[in-house]
Amino acid sequence: MRPLTTTRTEDRTADRRRARRTAETAGIGWKLLLLKITVLGLLNAVCVYAAMVLFFNERWLIGTLVVVSGALLTWIYFQRGALPAKYLAPGVVFLLIFQVFVIFYSGYVAFTNYGTGHNSTKDHAIHAIMLQTQDRVPDSPTYQLTVIERSGELGFAVTTEDGEVLLGSAEAPLEAAPGAVVQDGRVIEVPDHEVLSFAELVDRQQELTSLSVPLSEDPNAGALRTQDGQRAYVYTSRFVYDESADTLTNTASGEIYTDGGEGAFVTPDGAEVMPGWRVNVGLENFVRAVTEESIRGPLLYVTAWTFGFAFLSVATTFVMGLFLAVVFNDARMKSRKYYRLVMILPYAFPGFLSALVWAGMMNQEFGFINNVLFGGASIPWLSDPWLAKLSILIVNLWLGFPYMFLVCTGALQSIPEELTEAAQMDGARPFQAFRQIKFPLLLVSIAPLLISSFAFNFNNFNLVYMLTGGGPRDIEAGINVGSTDILISMVYKVAFVGSQSDYGLASAFSILIFFIVGTISVIAFRRTRALEELN
Amino acid sequence: MTVNTGRITTMTALLGLGALALTSCGSGDGSGDAGAAEPADSETTESEAAESETTDSDTTDSDTTETEGGEDAASGSLTIWADANRAEVLTDVAEDFESDTGITVEIVQQDFEEIRDQFVSQVPTGEGPDIAVGAHDWLGVLVNNGVVAPVELGDAAAEFEEIAVDAWTYEGQTYGLPYSIENIALLRNTELAPEAPADFEEMIQMGEEAGTEYPFLVGLDPNESDPYHLYPFQTSFGAPVFGTAEDGSYDPSQLSMAEAGGEEFAGWLAEQGEAGVLNLNIDGDLALESFNDGNSPFFLTGPWNVTGAQDAGIDVAVDPIPAAGDQDAQPFAGVQGFFLSSQSENVLAASNFLINYVGTAEVQTALYETGGRAPALTESFEQALSEDEIVAGFGEVGAEAVPMPAIPEMGAVWDDWGSSQAAIIKGDGDPVELWQKMSQDISSAID
Amino acid sequence: MAQSLRTATHRTPRPGPAEPPSVSRRTPTRRRPFRRWFSQTGWRHLVGIAVVIFAAFPLVYVFSASLNPGGTLITANTLFGNLSLRSYVDLFNLPRQPFAAWYVNTLFIGFSASAGSVMLGALAAYAFSRMRFTGRRFGLITILLVQMFPQLLAMVAIFLLMLSIGEIFPAIGLNSQIGLIMVYLGGALGVNTYLMYGFFNTIPVSIDEAARIDGAGHARIFFTIILPLVSPILAVVALLSLVATLSEFVIASVLLRDPEKQTLAVGLYQFISQETSQNWSIFAAGAVLAAIIPVALFLGLQRYIVSGLVAGSVK
Repeated sequence: MRPLTTTRTEDRTADRRRARRTAETAGIGWKLLLLKITVLGLLNAVCVYAAMVLFFNERWLIGTLVVVSGALLTWIYFQRGALPAKYLAPGVVFLLIFQVFVIFYSGYVAFTNYGTGHNSTKDHAIHAIMLQTQDRVPDSPTYQLTVIERSGELGFAVTTEDGEVLLGSAEAPLEAAPGAVVQDGRVIEVPDHEVLSFAELVDRQQELTSLSVPLSEDPNAGALRTQDGQRAYVYTSRFVYDESADTLTNTASGEIYTDGGEGAFVTPDGAEVMPGWRVNVGLENFVRAVTEESIRGPLLYVTAWTFGFAFLSVATTFVMGLFLAVVFNDARMKSRKYYRLVMILPYAFPGFLSALVWAGMMNQEFGFINNVLFGGASIPWLSDPWLAKLSILIVNLWLGFPYMFLVCTGALQSIPEELTEAAQMDGARPFQAFRQIKFPLLLVSIAPLLISSFAFNFNNFNLVYMLTGGGPRDIEAGINVGSTDILISMVYKVAFVGSQSDYGLASAFSILIFFIVGTISVIAFRRTRALEELN
Repeated sequence: MTVNTGRITTMTALLGLGALALTSCGSGDGSGDAGAAEPADSETTESEAAESETTDSDTTDSDTTETEGGEDAASGSLTIWADANRAEVLTDVAEDFESDTGITVEIVQQDFEEIRDQFVSQVPTGEGPDIAVGAHDWLGVLVNNGVVAPVELGDAAAEFEEIAVDAWTYEGQTYGLPYSIENIALLRNTELAPEAPADFEEMIQMGEEAGTEYPFLVGLDPNESDPYHLYPFQTSFGAPVFGTAEDGSYDPSQLSMAEAGGEEFAGWLAEQGEAGVLNLNIDGDLALESFNDGNSPFFLTGPWNVTGAQDAGIDVAVDPIPAAGDQDAQPFAGVQGFFLSSQSENVLAASNFLINYVGTAEVQTALYETGGRAPALTESFEQALSEDEIVAGFGEVGAEAVPMPAIPEMGAVWDDWGSSQAAIIKGDGDPVELWQKMSQDISSAID
Repeated sequence: MAQSLRTATHRTPRPGPAEPPSVSRRTPTRRRPFRRWFSQTGWRHLVGIAVVIFAAFPLVYVFSASLNPGGTLITANTLFGNLSLRSYVDLFNLPRQPFAAWYVNTLFIGFSASAGSVMLGALAAYAFSRMRFTGRRFGLITILLVQMFPQLLAMVAIFLLMLSIGEIFPAIGLNSQIGLIMVYLGGALGVNTYLMYGFFNTIPVSIDEAARIDGAGHARIFFTIILPLVSPILAVVALLSLVATLSEFVIASVLLRDPEKQTLAVGLYQFISQETSQNWSIFAAGAVLAAIIPVALFLGLQRYIVSGLVAGSVK
């Protein structure tokens, strides 16, 4: 570590200090050292174990990362230098795992078609298609089933409605079984076969439920299958999957579906079988994000309102929070404790509850605001395009000012009172003294918070969604975008229409929005640099 | 407030979606099986051991006679997602099942509204359950995502109310074991209106004669109206949302409400909005409260609000929904049921549990008693009908009901449908034009 | 949290005067003429009353709803028309909604996450404030930028991550409160670090220097000298993180599955999330009780938040 300022005095005392430090380390340091070794030892044990499990599961990349980070942490704490790293490492570890990962993961999803109908692997998709397209032959009878086994191979012994007993297995179509013993319409004994108990069935249930016993030599006659091990039904498969050719064939029409490379089986003329699976689609989501009709139309309007909303939210909450912090930062005032206490209440309440209460209070006909405050007026707080905007800002002010109040109070505490007093003694009026002395100092610590509050409100999906749902919607537009929609809520509506979701598209939007907000913030940081360097 | 809550629900469901399988990037092998096969800690082993002895005595259910007894109890396990109300009933059933079969059942309590999205996202990771509770109108999404497997009810299908099985049938396959049917009906405060109204006009007239604040109540939303609650009026103008295909299921390519009946209904909406009978500012909570305070003789709502009204001291009768047009007023029916994961590795145990345990009259009745909605099993349904006037009232209306469409595009349809209705009721333009605009938007959303 | 701060203060090698002189000097005399009283503090009360009305009014609705079993949230015209504690009693007697367990869980998760965040954040803020190293500016801006990523899709990634972690260490994976706390700690470096950083900057470096000359190592300077001096901001950050944790709903609902393990936000939400069985009154009662936690913490920390400690000791 390099000291901030080096003076001559320090140079001279440097040796003495080093000596003293060594002595200190030797004196009380061994306990700390022991602690350090224990903690790092544990950490390393955990890392090694995790890495072993990961390698065992052939997850090489993550395993290697674990090993490398474990080694890095050990190195950081076991050498003399890199003091900043010692202080930063604990927070950074969590930051990397739980926050940075999210960003990279979204980045990855943005290049896939992940969403409704494409939410798993190809194997899962094929499995699901095959399951969902087993059609029970209409009006076919129920067969009372007994599951039997011979030399490890499962088979079905069934009784038909007219009392006939049939035997079959995956390889051997059903045929009469003369020697079988039937009781209460169900086979209980078959020569040369073992009858399986329920418990044995449960143990082999996957084998059993995928077993299909052909009805006859004719494959189109269908096959017996069972779900519960007690009854079998005749099914025909709508599709046959050919593993070597990787194609699905429709058994009725003979149409062949191939893997079209876009995460689904398709026919040459474009018919798809759902579900599909996840594949990389390159930049497609980004292209859609900028060309999608439902986005492009209202984009300008929504972007403008997003900026307006974010800026005004920060401005109103900050002004109010700061004002209150200053007002209640006067030691002469009695009982300010209680005011402060009430003021943090909006912050302490669950946000969704607050939004619901406000929505109720803003009801045009029955809400408290119209009924009591405005004496029965009929002001459409939430259904007029402009008033809805105002309402959102009011509610956001209510939700957000306690935070600004707390933060400003905290920051004001860091500014020595003497500065103001000195200025006041020099004849400055209180407000002037505040504006010229305290305010710039306050901004030093608050400015980054304001920027980040801006970013937060830029993406303040919850408030918009819960209070107005983005509405009121312009019914003529034909696009489900309302006058209080901000970018993120518009994205939500486009990517998650009803119950359909398109995570790929939403991720692409997230990345784009992140770039917008990030760029603005970086610029803002640069502009506040002057302020920051005051210290 | 109904719609607002709906909004938070969908939002949190989508936000809290859990995950997809990043199996493509992680390990393709191994991890999946481990996750699904052993979902739970083995705290149950003790009780299991104790129970296996009692299993020697005959089991109650004849269908499970294959259970040989304790000496070779099966070692499987089942995971079920259910909401709090269902979880309670299922716990008892699960105990029976465990003692009969030796298969342990873990019931994971989930928020009902979140189950769909959690299921869609977690099944592919191998973290999903074997069985979950849900509503039939989720089917489109579940099937398109390949996360549900058909359940063959076999002969048992005939023992259920027809509408229940129909609702759980999607593209020709039955995907679940239904347990309850719900639909809206007209609640009447018998003190304020002694007789059931014959049609909408008569109801309004009776409401006005009662001298209460509102002639009639239905919960709407200022910006999104409520097409679900207004649907019976719409059908009474002969304007069902979709046409029906040959097999009786919906055919989304025929948007029947775009036809003349729909436009007539639009005109009616505008009139009622103008007259103040339909008031967008009265949301579900306000409507409930006003009805409970005796401020209106009529309230169009579901069975879920009956208890509240009775607690408030209202003597409630359930009536058929009065038609506004010249045809019958058919509400939507929602059917709740249990469905099976396509990635379940315990299909045998799961389907046994569903068909032989949950499908019994005893369980269906128990589910009805905690949920208050008409049971889907005919035997329990009739029993409930004969025992309880309220259920009978809803059941009678339910006989006219049609299942809510389950196609995945319904989300978009509800959006357009609702905001157009709201605009019409508010009087923001010509009702017929708005309705036509809506029809076009919906058609293009579905294609 | 409060306890540890308090003891830390007592160990401060150079404690501030019991009462900051700047404050005591200005302590008002008992009898002031009204006009003077008004211009000095009276108007502040007016502001206070206005703000209290603005802040508390919507919550009065909630409180009123909690006393009106079976009622709804929008009882605008009949505030406190009914006064019954039944919802509060019911709240603790629901077999499937273990409210008491939620409360304890929330306290545990909230306080752990908040203490952890303060610690991690303070460590980082100290490094940023006192040390000069390559990437310092970049690091400062990065931790803010990372938080700006739209969180709409974060759950997908976090669920997946916890799923993988749980495969290796089940104790900190899905359905584990420790795991949830760890996720919350992921946000420890962020806005709050910046807040602390700004505050650290106002503590003169000469204090560190003096301590170093006295032979104190960096760890000792940080823990025994700097931390007590910055206690106001630590208290603010502790409160901010606690409130954030308390109202956090989305991550907790996905990660914690057992009703016994869930937090208040998740549990309470179940009372109103089902359209068909909403129970506003019980929900409101639960929310009122939940709000006691941050309020109590605020009361406990208030004197650190507004202590004037720095003004008294740093000159």
